[in-house]
Amino acid sequence: MILSVRDLRVSFRTHDGPVRAIDGVSFNLEESEILGVVGESGSGKTVSLLAVMGLITDPNATIEGSIRYKGRELVGLPPRELRRLRGNEIAMIFQDPMTALTPVYTIGWQIAEQIRAHRGVSKAKAMERVEQLLAEVNFPNPHEAMSRYPHQLSGGMRQRAVIAMALSCDPALLVADEPTTALDVTVQAGILDLVRKLRAKHKSAVVFITHDMGVVSELADRVMVMYAGRVVERGTRSELFSDPRHPYTRALLGSIPPLTGQKPRRLPAIPGSPPSLLRLPQGCAFGPRCPVRYEPCEAGKPGLGSDAHAAACFRVAQA
Amino acid sequence: MIDADRSILETRSLAKRFSIGTRFSAEGRRTVHAVDNVSLTVRRGETVGLVGESGCGKSTLARCLVRLYDITDGKLLFEGDDITSKSLSELRPLRRRLQMVFQDPSASLNPRRRVGDLVAEPLRIHGKLSAKEITARVAELFELVGLLPDHVMRYPHEFSGGQRQRVGIARAIALNPDLVVLDEPVSALDVSVQAQIVNLLADLQEKLKLTYIFIAHDLSVVRQVSTRIAVMYLGSIVEEGPAEEVFATPAHPYSQALISAVPVVETTPTGARKRIILTGDVPSPLKPPSGCRFHPRCPIAADRCRSERPELREYRPGRKVACHFPTLT
Repeated sequence: MILSVRDLRVSFRTHDGPVRAIDGVSFNLEESEILGVVGESGSGKTVSLLAVMGLITDPNATIEGSIRYKGRELVGLPPRELRRLRGNEIAMIFQDPMTALTPVYTIGWQIAEQIRAHRGVSKAKAMERVEQLLAEVNFPNPHEAMSRYPHQLSGGMRQRAVIAMALSCDPALLVADEPTTALDVTVQAGILDLVRKLRAKHKSAVVFITHDMGVVSELADRVMVMYAGRVVERGTRSELFSDPRHPYTRALLGSIPPLTGQKPRRLPAIPGSPPSLLRLPQGCAFGPRCPVRYEPCEAGKPGLGSDAHAAACFRVAQA
Repeated sequence: MIDADRSILETRSLAKRFSIGTRFSAEGRRTVHAVDNVSLTVRRGETVGLVGESGCGKSTLARCLVRLYDITDGKLLFEGDDITSKSLSELRPLRRRLQMVFQDPSASLNPRRRVGDLVAEPLRIHGKLSAKEITARVAELFELVGLLPDHVMRYPHEFSGGQRQRVGIARAIALNPDLVVLDEPVSALDVSVQAQIVNLLADLQEKLKLTYIFIAHDLSVVRQVSTRIAVMYLGSIVEEGPAEEVFATPAHPYSQALISAVPVVETTPTGARKRIILTGDVPSPLKPPSGCRFHPRCPIAADRCRSERPELREYRPGRKVACHFPTLT
């Protein structure tokens, strides 16, 4: 097992009181497995993965629970040790490639820097590797691309450069946070293809965060749906899409307009909007928007249970 | 109801070019061909969806249609009346009838003014209503877009993204427009909220007999709301037709690639759907390629495509394509 997260809780102290961004998230990740994490803004999908990366440095944040990477506990690990893992064994790709690139150095230099920082090879060796990597992520002319600055590349090319950087040290774990959200569908298709190929070649485990159910269904082996800081449903891709159990998952899938066949006159919409973490409703956080809520939903928070395909819902548990 | 005979808005070979740089900059003065030779007819009561990759000129075209940009070449007709070069004062009475909703409601709403005030603003500028009538109209508009009456005193930041977009929509429909241009109206919203706004737009269209021009990069949303769609590539329309037909049987190789690239929820294993992955990037509109502008990325390009630019022509009633070798069904 590459990654094992147990009962992760992250809270922030704010002016308006404590905010629990992550409330008891657990999941496992095996070698060369792609886990899709779906959720809307504020669902905690990004924060939970930032915690895994040890990137929550806010002094107002409290992280509890356990994050084990290849059996080694990451929570409480000194920053120096974490830095050795990040970029080397664990790599991350963000939504906006410019957050990972500096505008003042060439692409080649930036990727080589990372290789040299972790591997201690010569500059010439590192540059050779950069050219290989850029070819691998389908740069049409890798040698020429090395001397380009980020502003000279298109959005899709920049994201490819960031992926090349993430792969530079053959990471065992790759965390991708909405890497295709800012890209056009045609470019997205290419990037998803690339992630699939790389997983096959490097055997990296991938956590892919997105709000797009379509992307998850094309890419993920297993899926975790998050809402208001908790996992509401998890299962394999086919379990989740052919037999969605949680009312939120069902509603979300139902509200996507179809790309073929008859158009519905109206879309089945979910009423209301995602709750503020400062003012979470009593009991189940999805309760106020849920079409099948009943008394128990206001009394307590439903747990996820231990099944492989599980939904955190009292109705489902009862059925 | 779509009135097939009455066009509300029509463009004839419309073009928009921007000039960038100065004669002192390294490359000198250059021209961006943002919109090129677009002839599009919008009929009363329909929704025309504009799709294409970023940089294809769909937003520029939308802004030309409401004369937020000046038109470089070609003609723009509103109800048969040439408004291509009307002065701002001549346009004023038309502004009431042509409105626009923008992508990011938090950027298009003044954060320091109450939302009731924001919705009343167009009424004050254009209408001849008394203060009392304005208050009543604002209340009516709030109800129409699904906001509560006591929301008028709130500021934009007190709302969620979906509610803010409702305010943006209320503002756009305040003056009973005929045509509303919606530029990515749901893209900034949470997935669970998008469907609400899509439904609201459909309801308003029916109630107020609106005509929409709808721009979104989410193709399934465009298909849902549009009666017709126009696929744009590098400033020009490459395919046009009824939304469901174009999605089911795209004739242009670019439309085929675009539609096949949309990730859809499937219960069958990955790869069941045939996907066309385009190589390369959209060329720069500074130096559009010769011949067919899609030829450098086109999987079926031939010699003819490199030299001769295909015209957008009707091959079947209602279906148009600009390609020398279209897939006709």
